[in-house]
Order: sequence, then structure tokens, then C-alpha cells
Amino acid sequence: MTLEIACPTCGPRPHTEFAYGGEELPHVAPDAEADFARVFHPGNVEGPQRERWFHALGCRSWFVLTRDTRTNRIG
Amino acid sequence: MTPGRLRFEGRDVPVLEGDTVASALFRAGVRTFSRSLKGHRRRGLYCGTGECPNCAVTVDGVPGVRSCITPATGDLRIERPRGWPSADHDLLHVADLAHPLMPVGFYLKTFIRPRFAWRTAERMIRRATGSGPLPMDAPATRTVSRHVRCDTIVVGAGVAGLTAALEPAVDGERVLLCDGFAIGSRVAPGPTLDAIRTLEARVRANPAIEIMEGYAALGLFDGPSVPLAGAGELVQVRAERVVVATGATEAHQLFPGNDLPGVWLGRAASAMAALHGVPPGRRVVVVASTAEGVEHLRALVAAGTPVVAALVPSAFVDEVPRETEAIVDGELVEARGHGRLRSVVVRERGERRRIRCDALVLSMGLAPRDELARMAVGEPVRLVGDAALDAGEPRLGGGYLCLCEDVALHDVEQAWTEGFRSAEILKRYTTATMGPCRGAMCGRALACFARDHADAADQRSGARTTARPPLRPVALETLAAPVHEVVEKRTGLHEVHLAAGANLGWSSGWKRALSYGDLAGEYRAVRERVGMMDVGTLGRFLIAGRDAARLAGSVFAGRIEDLAPGRSRYVLALDEGGYVVDDGLLCAVEDGSYLLTSTSGGAERMDARLREWADRLQLHVHLLDRTSELGAILVAGPRARDLLERLTGDPIEAAALPYPGHRELTLAGVPCRAIRSGFVGELAFELHHPRSRGPELWDALLREGKALEISPFGLDALEVLRLEKGHLYLGQDTLPDDTPAKLGLNWAVDMSKPWFVGKAALERLAELPPTRRLAGLEFEGAPAEGAELRGAPLTVGGAVVGRVTSAANSASLERAIGLGWIRRGEDGFPNELGAGSVVARVVSTPFYDPLGARVRG
Repeated sequence: MTLEIACPTCGPRPHTEFAYGGEELPHVAPDAEADFARVFHPGNVEGPQRERWFHALGCRSWFVLTRDTRTNRIG
Repeated sequence: MTPGRLRFEGRDVPVLEGDTVASALFRAGVRTFSRSLKGHRRRGLYCGTGECPNCAVTVDGVPGVRSCITPATGDLRIERPRGWPSADHDLLHVADLAHPLMPVGFYLKTFIRPRFAWRTAERMIRRATGSGPLPMDAPATRTVSRHVRCDTIVVGAGVAGLTAALEPAVDGERVLLCDGFAIGSRVAPGPTLDAIRTLEARVRANPAIEIMEGYAALGLFDGPSVPLAGAGELVQVRAERVVVATGATEAHQLFPGNDLPGVWLGRAASAMAALHGVPPGRRVVVVASTAEGVEHLRALVAAGTPVVAALVPSAFVDEVPRETEAIVDGELVEARGHGRLRSVVVRERGERRRIRCDALVLSMGLAPRDELARMAVGEPVRLVGDAALDAGEPRLGGGYLCLCEDVALHDVEQAWTEGFRSAEILKRYTTATMGPCRGAMCGRALACFARDHADAADQRSGARTTARPPLRPVALETLAAPVHEVVEKRTGLHEVHLAAGANLGWSSGWKRALSYGDLAGEYRAVRERVGMMDVGTLGRFLIAGRDAARLAGSVFAGRIEDLAPGRSRYVLALDEGGYVVDDGLLCAVEDGSYLLTSTSGGAERMDARLREWADRLQLHVHLLDRTSELGAILVAGPRARDLLERLTGDPIEAAALPYPGHRELTLAGVPCRAIRSGFVGELAFELHHPRSRGPELWDALLREGKALEISPFGLDALEVLRLEKGHLYLGQDTLPDDTPAKLGLNWAVDMSKPWFVGKAALERLAELPPTRRLAGLEFEGAPAEGAELRGAPLTVGGAVVGRVTSAANSASLERAIGLGWIRRGEDGFPNELGAGSVVARVVSTPFYDPLGARVRG
């Protein structure tokens, strides 16, 4: 609820400046079935997860970070 | 601070220097400060430190204000909201006499049948309980929110907090020291205050320490972070470490009669006597089992309070003043009285004895205020000072366990026998510890009760209930501060619209002109002559760089490579599920870059999407959001070109500026990029220009357009104009899982491209039969205002199979038209549906000028 996210451009900033962009996914899949799974059944892991964030109220850049979904610890 | 003026229920109450609201009222003879939540029992001053609910009054219309910690400054209007006809003579006190009929949770057990009984009862219960009505006519205020970062935050600026703040400061760390009150302001003169003043001087001299007085901590969240409320703002502090120095409150004692007015905790009583000069009673009994208690006893006596007896442990017997009878190792049994304290019963060497008195002062140990630390499992939090005390077990002698929620010990006992057998579920069932004190007075007692009653092996049932934010009562407005941020975006022509008397309205964050007063006239100007509209809200993006075409080709589903410079194309953006999320117009510029216009509401989304894919595909592009830098005016109508020709020497005939295309030109001296637009279905030019020159361009168009009977038009006219063309608004006419096929937009998708976002999903979906689509609708028997049909369900044989998403009266077609989605039935998509009594017929779009001859003009 009160994440602090280190933006590669702007440094540590409160999470309210960011938008969550989902898990880091490949943008292609070998076949239709795999593509369906890629889009609709992402990992949803319990533990460290690679995810995309967007510094919407800042430099407006996208980056990937690792967040532990159990503890919200980043990095 | 100069003393203020108190109006208490219609009469003036004298105020002295240093008074709190409570001390002024007490001096004026007020003994009943509030009525209890359920039983409407009289409640008087008790803790004196802002913890218990007893002194809560309504100040200037704001209910639930703790009068004991509210300085009596300024002009204050005080009321006691609970009690009818008044808090002093409260007929609802019968609720207390009826206590046996209203056991804990009675509203869960009664009023079940007949069903209407609860509705009536609930109204009565709501009126009889609560903290008083909210001031519904109070002016709206706005709490702002900001973020602060520090290395260490110290919550509480008492001796322990000040000391802790000074510890790390030598290393040059940034320390933030906060307290709900000014440093030392609530401490009586004495050695403690002297110590605080000495430390305060050192803290103030240290530049590494930021002091925030008047900021109360609301909770502790992971991070760790501590939100502070004060001075009209919410400050969200993010720290590396938290030091909790919130001190302790004097422990609430449980014995029969413990909530009678006249029963005081030591700090409240000694402050009343020593600071405010009002003795808490004329015959006072003190129970002092700690050194602090003895201090209070001495302070009371020194201030001239007649203390008739003091119960002290043998160790302190020499400390009892001569004029006071010392009862050594005596035990407090009960307090008696009706509505106010009359006597106390004590046990002395096994003998019960009654002592007549009108005030009983209790100082029997401390209860640490450690809630903040208990909110943060696994966070770097350190408790210091009294907050770190290991408090003893409370004695459960009887009386009221929870003052806020009016829960007596026997209520909890009953709940136990009903099967609620742990502190957590006792809390939920009885609501004990849920009141405004947040369990500060009663949490320990409840846990202790559960521990006493549970099996010794059952560790969990006696554990203290989870400490939860907020730590103290907080206004919803404060909690909303970080999320409730109203931004009003204005175009460069805002003042022009105001001057023209436009009717302004909200549209996706912008203030836009809805109409200039004559909707029909505005519409006719566009269809018959020429109209102009401020479209500076459109998103404008420059996409440049080596991979500009690759980015556009990836994000948009249509064909991009063959888009020649000077031409433009409608583009659709899909998400990875193949669903339409955005649309726009892509203009290829001579130098290989693109100018993209997006919908007004989708501009930020579009920007994020472009940047996302530039990042994910590792493309070399420059992306520049020019939305706020450029203004735009849409000039539309059969005479649009005639108008522009009067203002420019640049070529704008169809060959030089074809549809769909664009070019740079100078209009009335203003450099513009003119984009041919098809949205309203007439010959139309979007003139994108430097924002600052908008009014100048607008005036020139208006002036030259006079001869052509030009009219500005607003969003309301646009709604009809675009609907006649069957153009859809993404979001209004679409659902979150609409594919291009469902919207009839397959022409904007190029499946021969090797890849674009959502292509794989479209391939998968192409194999499924279409189940729903967006259709053009003509209405028969529509209401006079066709727009009323918007949102109407569409039915076939009584079954709902669709919904109208847009509707309007079309002047050109002389009937109501609309768009709506319809579901496929067993024999294909229906052609005729019902919308209430109205008949909706499915027709092909565009409704107006189906071949688009007028657009190409």
C-alpha cells in the first residue's frame, strides 16, 4: 500500500506516481495456445516477480523491477 | 494565546488563560460531558489526555472533538449531541435501565420478524446512538497530501522521543520528529517539563532534525511509512526506521461504577487542579499505586484539593500528606452513586468500608500506547520510553470494559458464554475496542479476559487484537487527500469560450464548451455552411527517429508502411487480447516522422502505450507529447475551404490537401498544420497551431467567417454530427472486450502484417463465430428527445439482447438514430428490436452521406 519505487531516471519516488504494467512477458508466443496462456494466464507467482512499471507522473518511462508479491519488497 | 470565548449550549462560559474546552466547562459546573453510546449513561472527565471518549463534544458543528485536549482559543460553539432533550436530562437514559432486555448483539437477535420491524428500529437506534449529526452545510474543504522522506521518523516528542531524535542526528542522518501537539504543551510544570525544555533546545538547534508539531501519526504501514495528519494536510512519511515514542496512558481500571462522573485518572485530575486551578471534587479519594500516582496526590493537595483518603502501597505511606488519611494496601472494591459519584467502597485488611466522596482519582499504573509498533510486523520499528513499558495485567473487577462502545464486563462474559471465545471474535461481536480510542483504554483488558477464560493451552484466544489504523479519529477528507485530486484542464481558448457565453462542462478531465446556446443552429451551420470548434483537447504526439514506422506498425493494427508523407490514416490500437483500446489519426510527415492525434480522453493512455512498446521492443524512437503545446480548431462545413482561402495564400484545394491528408500552412499569420478530418462528415480541417496563438486564430476565423454565417459549435452538436456518420466513441460505444470485428472496424486491421500487438489474439478469435456486434439503429416512436434512449436495453421477444450506447435526434434524417450492441440469436443477428415501447431497426452506417462524398469535398 505504500511502496516506494526506484525509477531509473528519477530515483526513489512514492508509488502513487507510478502505474503498474503487469508481469514482464515475452511479446510473442510460438503458437496460438501459448499466446492465449501468455496473455490470459500469466505467472501470478507467489514470491519475487518481474514486473513492468510506468512512471506516469514523472519521467514517463517504462522499466522492469522485481517485487516480492508476499512482502512487497522491491529489488 | 489569548483565551477565547465559549458558547456552551446557548450560554457564555468564562475562559481563563491556558484553558482547554474541558477545563473551562468543568469550572463552569459541567459534570456530564457526554452520554454513553448505548445506555446513555452520564460520562464525565476521565483520562484528560485525549484517549477516552468521555469528553467528546461537538465543537462548531464538528462532532466527536475531545474537549480535554482542545485549547479554548478563538470563538467556539460547544454542544453535547447525545441525549434527549439534553445531555443533562436525558430521557433515553431508560436504555440503561433496559440493559437486561438489550444484551450484547441484541440487534442481531431481535427485530427479525416481522421484517418491517427492523426498518423502524434501525431508524430509532441510529437516532439514539452515534456521535451526533455531521455538519452537512459546512463549506467543503480540501486536504492536500504530500510525501516526505527521512532516515528516521520519531513519533512522539516527549522525553523519550526527543532523546531518540538526538541519537542518530550526530551521524548527519535526516530525522523527522512529529507530535500531535506542540512540544511540552500538555505537560504540567515540573521536572519532566524541565527535561523536555532542555532536550527541546538541543533538538531545535540541530539542523538535521525536522520538527513537525501538530502532526498526529495515523498508522504504520509497510515500507515503513507513517501517514501524519495535521495543519490541513496529509503527509506520507517514508523512513528507513521508525521510533515509536508515543508514551503511555494511565491504565483504565475495571470495577463496578468505574464510569461514573467523578471517577478520574490521575493525570486528568492533577492537571485540572494544578494547571487550571479547579479541584476535581470537594471530597476526593485517591488510589495511587505508583510513584507517578503519589506525585499526582501531592499535586492535588498542593493545589488545595481536599483529599480525604488515599489508598497507597506500604512503600509510599510516608509520602501521603498529613491531612489525608492513608489506607495502606487497601483495595478498591466499587464506586457508588447514581449519575454521579457518591462514595467508594474499599477493602482494608479484609474489612469493607465505605467512604463518602465526590471524586475518585485513579493512578494505578500505565498502559503503553504501543499500537504503532504492533501495526508493523517485520518492519524496523523501535519502541522507546513509556511506550515500551511492560504493563501489568489489568484487574477485571467489573464495570465498563469499553467506554467508547459502552460494553460492560458482563456483556463480554455473556458473549463468552454464547461461544465467542477469543479476543478477536469477542471484539467483533461486542464491538469492544472498536471505538474512537482504538483500544487504548480497553484492548489490554479484553485480551486479559480472553486469556483468563480460555484453556491455558490456547495461546491465540488471549492474544491482543490486531492494532489497526487509523490510530486516532480522522476525517474522511484527510484519508481521501492522496486520491482525490481534481485537475481541471483548459484549452488555450478557454477565455474565448467564457466570453462567448458558452455552456461549459466536464469531458475527460477537460472543461469544454458543450454549446453556445443554440444547438440546432450550431448543427445547421456545420451541415449547411461552416462551423468551428475548439478541439485543442485532442492528444497530439510526435513519433520520430529511426524506428518510428516500426513503432507505429507495431502498436497499430492497420497498414503503416505505405502511408505516404502528407497522407493520414485512421488507426486502431489493440491490447494483447485483441481488444480495441484506443484509436487515432496517424499523419506521415515528410521527414519520416509521424504526427499522431488521439482521442481527448485517451491521450495519456496512448502516450503510455507508445512508450511501453518502444521500451518492450527496444526501438529507437523519440516520442514527444505535444498535447499541451498545441491548440486545435476544427473548421467544418461545405464552405470550410472558402473560409480558409480568405485567410491563407497556401494551396488548400483538394489536390494540394486531399482527404485524408495534411499539410503545413499559414493562416491569418499563424503557422498551422491543417489535417483533413472526417469525423463530422463534412469538408473539414483541423488546424493545429501554437497554443498561445489560438485566440488570434479563432478571432480571425470568426471575423472572416461572418460573411459565411459561421457559428462556433460545441460537444453537444458534435455528438449528433458524429453519430449521423456512425463514428463511435471508444469507451462510450464499446465494451472492454470488443474486437475490431465486433465494431465493424476490420477495414482498419491489416492481418497480412507479420506482427502487431493483438494480432495473434485476432487470429485465434477469427475461428470463433461472432456473438455480438455494434450496430446502427433507427428508432420508431422515439421520445421527443432521442438522446433519452441512450442506455436503454434492447430486447427481442422480451429477452434483453443488447443496449443502446449512443442516441440522438438527427435533423438531417428527421428521426432518432443511435448505436448499440446486439447479441446474435439462434437465427443470426436480429434486425428489429424493442427499446421499451420504441422499435429499433438495425441499419447500415453511416446514416448520413454513406459514400462520404461530402467529406472528400
